[in-house]
Amino acid sequence: MPVKVLIAKLGLDSHWRGAMMVARFLRDRGMEVVYVGNQTPAAIVESAIQEDVDVIGLSTLSGNHPVYVPMVFECLKARSVNDVPVVLGGTIPQEDYEAMQAAGVRAVFGPGRPLHDIAQCIGELAAERSRA
Amino acid sequence: MNDEGKLSRAQKLWEEKYNSYTERDAVFTTNSGIPVKPVYSPLDGDKSAGYLDELGFPGEPPFTRGIHHTMYRGRLWTIRQLAGYGTAEETNRRFKFLLEQGSTGINCVFDYPTARGYDSDAPEATGDVGQGGVAIDSLADMEQLFEGIPVEQISVSLVASFPVLSLTVMAMYLALAKKRGIPWDKLAGTVQNDFLMETAIAVAPAVLAPGASFRLSTDVVEYCTRHVPRWNPISYTGYNYREAGVDAVQEVALVFVHALATVEEMRRRGYEADQFVPRLSFFFSADNDFFEEIAKYRAARRLWYRLMSRRYGVTGPRTLTLRYHVQTAGSALTAQEPLNNIVRAAYQGLAAVLGGAQSIHVDGYDEALCIPSEQAALVALRTQQILQNETNTTYTADPLGGGYFIESLTDEMERRIQAYMDRIEEAGGIVSVVQSGWLHNEILESSYRVQKAVEEGKRKVVGVNCFTTHEQPVPVFRPAPGVRERQLQRLAAVRETRDAAAAESALNALRQVCRRGENAMEAVLNAVEAMATVGEIGGVLREECGTWQVPLY
Repeated sequence: MPVKVLIAKLGLDSHWRGAMMVARFLRDRGMEVVYVGNQTPAAIVESAIQEDVDVIGLSTLSGNHPVYVPMVFECLKARSVNDVPVVLGGTIPQEDYEAMQAAGVRAVFGPGRPLHDIAQCIGELAAERSRA
Repeated sequence: MNDEGKLSRAQKLWEEKYNSYTERDAVFTTNSGIPVKPVYSPLDGDKSAGYLDELGFPGEPPFTRGIHHTMYRGRLWTIRQLAGYGTAEETNRRFKFLLEQGSTGINCVFDYPTARGYDSDAPEATGDVGQGGVAIDSLADMEQLFEGIPVEQISVSLVASFPVLSLTVMAMYLALAKKRGIPWDKLAGTVQNDFLMETAIAVAPAVLAPGASFRLSTDVVEYCTRHVPRWNPISYTGYNYREAGVDAVQEVALVFVHALATVEEMRRRGYEADQFVPRLSFFFSADNDFFEEIAKYRAARRLWYRLMSRRYGVTGPRTLTLRYHVQTAGSALTAQEPLNNIVRAAYQGLAAVLGGAQSIHVDGYDEALCIPSEQAALVALRTQQILQNETNTTYTADPLGGGYFIESLTDEMERRIQAYMDRIEEAGGIVSVVQSGWLHNEILESSYRVQKAVEEGKRKVVGVNCFTTHEQPVPVFRPAPGVRERQLQRLAAVRETRDAAAAESALNALRQVCRRGENAMEAVLNAVEAMATVGEIGGVLREECGTWQVPLY
């Protein structure tokens, strides 16, 4: 079974280029990608459950991550989803990495991060989950 | 043997010698894929014979060399630095700071909820209030935004791109002028008002359908043609198309096909090109490929002249001349070693100057990380002032004109732009290629090509895929905490103090106008004056015009 990844944009941030580049690359690497565009945290979690994905990838460039990322984890908890790793990409200032990881994000990918790094990390997180 | 024969023979001999040497390992093509030769000679780009048809003098057809006779000797380009974050009060302070430091125009960007036609208290807005631009909910915020700024004396660009917002912001600006007793014919500036932004470039859920979005954008053009004669009611945002991933050729082609669609729609509504084309304005990127960018501006000016004169036979000088704003490419900035971005932006700014831009924004060095800090904004402004005052590049028009390489590249850019325009028109025109998702796919293919080239190291990015070093963090600028709370208070106060029945009735009137398919501008203006909010007006437009699922992915 190929690794299945959900990719979503947070809030009203409309910069889709980075998220789509990652989505295309993961697909080229044989992963199954569900791109849902801009969604609320609740809708992201709902899609992740419906699609039974291995990893959730969130993308934002607007600076809204301190608000929405913790909300995604609240929604995951409310739906008793504890084992789907969440990664975050976009213009996330380095000084926010710690807070994002404390909220539950497994990996943060800042601007300029090579796509193959991102793919590798997602692959490893998915493998870790299937072993658990 | 004639001179040309001698030259060809000499060039052939030179090429033989050249071929006996080894080139370094690189592919010599421009970023849009035009092959670049080792050298250019009169055989490639000599314009002395066709000078008047191909180049002409500055201010004269075909305007390749610039749209004004005097160019920067008469008047320097407008320094129009983008600003907008937090609340109207904070952005007003940044405007004043930039003006005090020598900025000569205002360029205001709105936050994500405002841009999308949502109020700050909408559930959709929660995390984005005051992010990436200023939060504007009602006319009261607009008045605060321009408090103490003489709008009758300074040209103002309102970066309200999506028609779901652009009518409202335009109406707020007009209402503000009216309240101050300033006649509308004194207002100079631009509202972005580009339907491609809403439907293809910066998509989000629940965008207006392409046809409706395009029609609303033309409503602004029509209204301003009749009532605000010095205002640019649309700015075709090639810059943003480029940022989404297309190349320089596609950028200009998309802009022109889009502009021609406006021209056709306005003619259908009964206007002659000379009545409104002089106020259509254009917005291009300045990316890293120095000569390609310069050639792009020159080719665009010439092609616009040819399109206008050949298709419509117009003669008004302002109808024939392409006026444009340039922004240095945000997507070329790196988060790694951010100070390097000062250098990138300076080269890009220089390309804009050598290309003959009418106004310029230079990016802040920290923009791959955050919206610009005051320091980054100041360095960007100073970059323009150094170009204007220290480099002497302003002394003569089109200083590269006549150069074999630049002329050859300009010709090739024009050919390729025209060919891509033909492809779009064959695919059904601009609204149709959005509707079908053809355009989204084109953008995606193009941006993915670039991304792969960076990934494979074929396109070098210093500090990212070559010459990397440890991070040099710069302070990250954020609006002061509590923006959302302060904005929600302001909005609540507006809702409490306004005449609720008047606002409701103005919104209903707008609803009826939408249903009848009439120009919505007047009704939006009435709604704004009745203190209806951005979100309430956006809501009516969404309900009445219908929303659309963007065909992405």
